Amino acid sequence: MIELASITKSFNSGRPNQFTAVDNVSLMIEPQKVTVLKGPSGSGKTSLLTMIGCMARPTSGRIFLHGIASALPSQQDQAGSLEITSLPERFLNDIRRVTFGFIFQQFNLIKGISVLENVMLPAYPTGESRADFRGRAEELLEMFSIGRHAGQRVELLSGGELQRVAIARALINNPSIIIADEPTAHLDSKLSYEFMEIVGKLKEAGKTIIIASHDPIVYDAPLVDVLVDMRDGAIVSSGRDR
Amino acid sequence: MILHPAALALLTTALLVSGLGAYSCFHGMRILGKWDLSSGSELQLELERRTYLISTVMSYILAFQLMLLFLYIYTADSLHPLFTGAMCAAGSLNANSFGYPVLILKIVNFLLSGVWLIVNHTDNKAYDYPLIRVKYELLNLLIPLLVLESILMFAYFAGIKPDIITSCCGSLFSYESGGFSGEIASLPHIPMKIAFYVSMSLTLASGLFFYLKGRSGGLFSISATVAFLVAAASLVSFICLYFYELPTHHCPFCLLQKEYGHVGYLLYATLLGGGVAGLGVGVLMPFKKLGSMARIIPPVQRRLALAAMICYLLFVLISSWKMLFSALRMG
Amino acid sequence: MKTTLERHLNILDFTLASLLRRKGKNLSLLTIYLLVIFMLASLVFFVTALKREAAIILEDAPDMVVQRLVAGRQDLVPTKYAEAIASIRGVSKVRPRLWGYYYDGLNGANYTIVADDDSVTEPESAMIGSAIARSRKVTVGDLLPLISYEKVPLMLQISSILPAGSDLMAADLIVISSEDFQTLFNFPAGQATDLAVTVRNPKELTTIASKIAQLFPDSRPILKSEILRTYQAVFDWRGGMTVILLSSALISFIIFAWDKATGLSAEERKEIGILKSIGWSTPDVLLLKFWEGVVISLTAFLLGVVLAYGHVFFLSAPLFAQALKGWSVIYPSFRLSPVVDGYQLAVLFFLTVVPYTTATIIPCWRAATADPDTAMRS
Repeated sequence: MIELASITKSFNSGRPNQFTAVDNVSLMIEPQKVTVLKGPSGSGKTSLLTMIGCMARPTSGRIFLHGIASALPSQQDQAGSLEITSLPERFLNDIRRVTFGFIFQQFNLIKGISVLENVMLPAYPTGESRADFRGRAEELLEMFSIGRHAGQRVELLSGGELQRVAIARALINNPSIIIADEPTAHLDSKLSYEFMEIVGKLKEAGKTIIIASHDPIVYDAPLVDVLVDMRDGAIVSSGRDR
Repeated sequence: MILHPAALALLTTALLVSGLGAYSCFHGMRILGKWDLSSGSELQLELERRTYLISTVMSYILAFQLMLLFLYIYTADSLHPLFTGAMCAAGSLNANSFGYPVLILKIVNFLLSGVWLIVNHTDNKAYDYPLIRVKYELLNLLIPLLVLESILMFAYFAGIKPDIITSCCGSLFSYESGGFSGEIASLPHIPMKIAFYVSMSLTLASGLFFYLKGRSGGLFSISATVAFLVAAASLVSFICLYFYELPTHHCPFCLLQKEYGHVGYLLYATLLGGGVAGLGVGVLMPFKKLGSMARIIPPVQRRLALAAMICYLLFVLISSWKMLFSALRMG
Repeated sequence: MKTTLERHLNILDFTLASLLRRKGKNLSLLTIYLLVIFMLASLVFFVTALKREAAIILEDAPDMVVQRLVAGRQDLVPTKYAEAIASIRGVSKVRPRLWGYYYDGLNGANYTIVADDDSVTEPESAMIGSAIARSRKVTVGDLLPLISYEKVPLMLQISSILPAGSDLMAADLIVISSEDFQTLFNFPAGQATDLAVTVRNPKELTTIASKIAQLFPDSRPILKSEILRTYQAVFDWRGGMTVILLSSALISFIIFAWDKATGLSAEERKEIGILKSIGWSTPDVLLLKFWEGVVISLTAFLLGVVLAYGHVFFLSAPLFAQALKGWSVIYPSFRLSPVVDGYQLAVLFFLTVVPYTTATIIPCWRAATADPDTAMRS
């Protein structure tokens, strides 16, 4: 479970162009559920995702990860919860690497290297043996039926295939939480539905999924458990719609 | 002034190291002044990023310092034909009054950079930067010494005039001459040997005790430091004699040469490594009880103690082996 | 330990892949880097080889040479000095030497003429260096005419050609008998150019030198060690001077490296953003950049050193020979015997790799500390 307590994120603080992307947000995200952050662009969805995903630190407020089996010998281990806001970057990274898998709007695959290498990339700095994560990457590619593209460069793939490579990459370190930022923005409707099917499978596999999207195919999908409506950096409504 | 390619290499590197050091020092001061871990402000984030830069810079400086130390001795050695009577590095370094101070500063700076990296490594293991102030205050002590070293080295090379009559290592380290280095050499062999083996045994015993029980780390660190100094003096006083198989050649530099199988590198590397690790244990002692450090420091110290013991043991084994099998026999 | 090694191997693997992906940019950097190392390495190898060559030549030189000064300028030494010096205790042998330079108007070169009655016994015959044989197109049995000071040609029959070897000094040498020497230069009898003194115990050299200076106040004893020192100082000085001249190249290279490292292309910047967003930390990216530097430096260093080795020891350093070797117009096309040691390589390393590395630390750090969330904000 992820607990956000009065999270605020502002940029350029102290300068005339200061603006607050996320304003005093408190939220509980339940494990093994699909949570969708819904709202127009500029509503603070992405900023909130970066803070949940340990990519950025909030200007104020606290984020707790409860009951997440962290690989770290935690020093502040109180009943399995971890307060991540005050951690230096290097620790955030370790947590991020093993806990979160990311799927980006632009897919963010690296050109010029093969599909397989792209999928393995997040595992490189973990110090795991190459043979181990290579096996996992091949399994993932098979699972998403793109195994035959493993040796190809990513430039040659279609949009749907790219999407699946990006998902496979998010899963390589076996994270418990998947974070997706506008995952369907560059997909047509058919592929968007396909994506939601995969999300369904991941949910069945016990992953916690957090998606930021303003695509109705995503937020109206029946498998969404919690819908959080955001506007101007604040939560307008939040709850179990169905 | 001499324009030797090696001297130019040394001076260029010294300049670069000082520049990097000054840059780190500047940002170190900013970190000391503005550090506020509880803040998530952009300034704090930037400062936290600077710490990566400074650790990277310091690792490079340490690596460069180590290589420079040997390059400096080697260059001094290759310059010796320029001086009448100089027969090796000992004579060249004596060509003006800056040669030896530079060498001593180089050793001190190497030890300090090593200790800094140990403190940095330990600090990075904790969530809350508990040693940040200690670290950057130490940096402010270290960098001026680095800059001073570069200035003195420049003065040394600038002041070299070929043909100055200098005493060669034969007379510099012989019994007759007075002065500091002469005194080391004229330290009597037997008491020196006793001091060497006693300090080494004490270090190894206290190290083993510390490694197993985790107590008396201070004692270990002090005896490791004393052993470092005693071993350095012993090297000049009697150990090198067994390698040269000459009863009067007290030069600590010729050991680095091919004729003696470059054994000097191994001796100096183990001695310096042991010295840094031993000092590191002691420097960490005061922070053992400090919050999050309580769980981090003991394993680091144990590993350092182990490293120091291995280094010293190697040093003792190499020199004792030579003392037993050398053609030279002394009373 | 194993995981640390795996981490390094994995990141190194990615480094190699990304270096190969940006061939154009990296090749241009590598080429310039290589060129700088090549120049400096050639220089250092060349100077060291020359120094050694000089030392080899001086090995056969006498322990001490005694000259005579008149009004502060070198003058001929009366051979009777030799007898007086020979009687000093500790001196084993004194040999008056006759030698000088001969200007050959035909090809504008200076030859070194040495009289040696032990090796040239017949009058009007000569042993000549290989360079002279080549430039005058003569061989054993041919006649070599030299014009004496009286404008009378002296016809010398070539008895042998000195072996080319690595002997820097033998190439422009002509050895003749002392009688011919006196004819050629109109050299007064009973005089010598200088005296070569051999001493029984080298430790007494300075004592004997001061005794000679006392005996003949107008004499100047020069020790072999002093000559050696002078050679060394001269070669070092020339080497250092050239390094300084090359330093402009070095500095422009460093600026170039800095620029390359700072001016990351948009694509590279994006890539680092992606790496950071998928869980690479700042130290991981720094490690990536470190390995990148190591691969580039090592490649440039090894290739540059190997090329320089070929340039100096197989091609006889055509780029530096004129500037560094010396003073004579015909200089022997000789082959230097290879001498490369760790010390030279260390000096090269400090002159090239260390400045390059230093120039890239800060740009690399800047790249590595990109915000992990930039990838989400594009």
